[in-house]
Amino acid sequence: MNSPYSLDTPIEQLPTKPKHFDLSRLRLALPRQITAYLFLLPALIVFALFAWLPIVKSVEMSFQHVTLGGESTWVGLENFSLMLKDPAFAIAWRNAFEFTSWSLMLGFIVPIVIALLVAEIRAGKGFFRVVYFLPTVVPAAVAVIIWRFIYDPDAGVLNEILIALGLPRQFWLQDVGLAKPSLVAVMTWAGFGTTALIYLASLQDVSQDLYEAAELDGATPLRRIWHISLPHLYPVMSLMFVLQIIAVVQIFTEPFLLTSGGPGRETLTPAMNIYNRAFIRLDMGYASAWSVTMIVVLAVFSIIYQLVNRRLSADR
Amino acid sequence: MDRGFLSNIELRTTSGRLYYALAMVILLAVAVVALFPFFFAFTSGLKGSTEIFAAGLDLFPASPRWENYTNAWTMFDMSRLFGNSILITGVSVILRLTISAAAAFSLSKLKPFGGRIITLGFLLTLMIPSIAYFVPLYTTIARLPIINVSLLNTYWGLWLPYSVDAFSIFVLKTFFDRIPQDLLDSARVDGATALQMLRHIILPLSRSILIVLCVLAFVGLWKDFLLPYLVITDPSRQPITVRLFYIADDYSVNLQMAASFVALLPPLLIAILLQRYMKVGLTLGGVKG
Repeated sequence: MNSPYSLDTPIEQLPTKPKHFDLSRLRLALPRQITAYLFLLPALIVFALFAWLPIVKSVEMSFQHVTLGGESTWVGLENFSLMLKDPAFAIAWRNAFEFTSWSLMLGFIVPIVIALLVAEIRAGKGFFRVVYFLPTVVPAAVAVIIWRFIYDPDAGVLNEILIALGLPRQFWLQDVGLAKPSLVAVMTWAGFGTTALIYLASLQDVSQDLYEAAELDGATPLRRIWHISLPHLYPVMSLMFVLQIIAVVQIFTEPFLLTSGGPGRETLTPAMNIYNRAFIRLDMGYASAWSVTMIVVLAVFSIIYQLVNRRLSADR
Repeated sequence: MDRGFLSNIELRTTSGRLYYALAMVILLAVAVVALFPFFFAFTSGLKGSTEIFAAGLDLFPASPRWENYTNAWTMFDMSRLFGNSILITGVSVILRLTISAAAAFSLSKLKPFGGRIITLGFLLTLMIPSIAYFVPLYTTIARLPIINVSLLNTYWGLWLPYSVDAFSIFVLKTFFDRIPQDLLDSARVDGATALQMLRHIILPLSRSILIVLCVLAFVGLWKDFLLPYLVITDPSRQPITVRLFYIADDYSVNLQMAASFVALLPPLLIAILLQRYMKVGLTLGGVKG
């Protein structure tokens, strides 16, 4: 029973790292390694073809001129210098910034408030949870058909409400000042429920003893929210904050389908410009320079997200 | 939960009742806003084609035209569109979960050499948004390297890219890690192959998490627009999200609304019927990383 390969020895205690090259050990490990890789193979193939290769090619193509036939020539940094000179560059990224600001203004606080309110409800929680969540599952392409009729300047229900209130009708999607918030409103409608439910799940972890103790100490309900509920939510809030930025910077489907970037280029986003350049003007190399810029910008936020998330899991 | 920041006794005081009523009013108002587009699409779908443009705030039709819904169903050829969408998402979900479960099982229990690096490679794809490598993804689908086959206008052009999902692999691996190794070791002693261990031990123990990932994948893929929009250009094969948007303009607004409402029903039903699983999935997604 002293053999390291006896049946009684737990797998973990088997020698895993030979001190020197050991042919017999290799012969023992090889079949297991082959099995292990057979199970991994399908994933490795699809990841290689549809994730890793495109990621590498995206960077490669940004330094190339790519023709329709697929031939490519290296052009160095030309795509990037063209991009920086392109007036669309400043416009698209300013729009992305404004979209993000609008989205944070309209959509960041709302889910927190909703979660705080739902947490206090003693009956009907399940109802609100489902109802708020429903818009999340709606395909943007279908939502857009409904929303563009809601926003319709002539027959849209939004303008009918304004007129019933004695206010002038608005051109929601055609007005330079209104187009962005109108689009963000659609995105907020589609997304607030998910975020609210995540906050709600976090609120359920607050120990009731804390509220009990605070109440005994004479803390008002508002102070209980301020000093117990909100601090408990801070880590999730910072996570949601970063995630929201990452999501909105990539925004594509809503402006693409609802406004096609208009009025003018008021709702043109970086992702839409990548699409236009690559699939309408067939300039894949130039489009890739935009893609790489996007990767860099989002990588910064991804790293922040990872750091926040790590701190969050360390706290637990 | 027995209490929130307000205790049950406080809720019975005047200010407590006032707060409770106010909270309910706000929550109901938000619920109305959340549900309004569904309701609006439904009732607009029942109106006549000129009635829908009539001035004034009439949410309900003068006399509901139920035939709009049957007309929309046939005019938009919705049985075919639903069939396409179900075929696309159904196969994708099965492929994604099979591939992810096999990979997660290997990484978690079979300890391949270089497993850490491979895991990192999978996780990397979570950090890079797909829109940033969308262009070369399309050119890859249009012409696969080495074998030079085009997947454009075939469902493989969606099934294969959709089966890439590091999140599923990561969640399943974390879950499998918690299944005791002893269970597998005794099976191995009894002569079970790795495939049998996966099928008869690991997967039955992971049923709940597999359902959660299934529901998440189904809802997520059913919604997708850009990839099917570019890959499937043959009108008879397009999924409902793409086709509906293409042809909506050719029909009167009331039929558009009726068709949109019908198109929303499958994901809505899934969300309502499987809400228990979706809820778990959300919190999974919230703190992934």
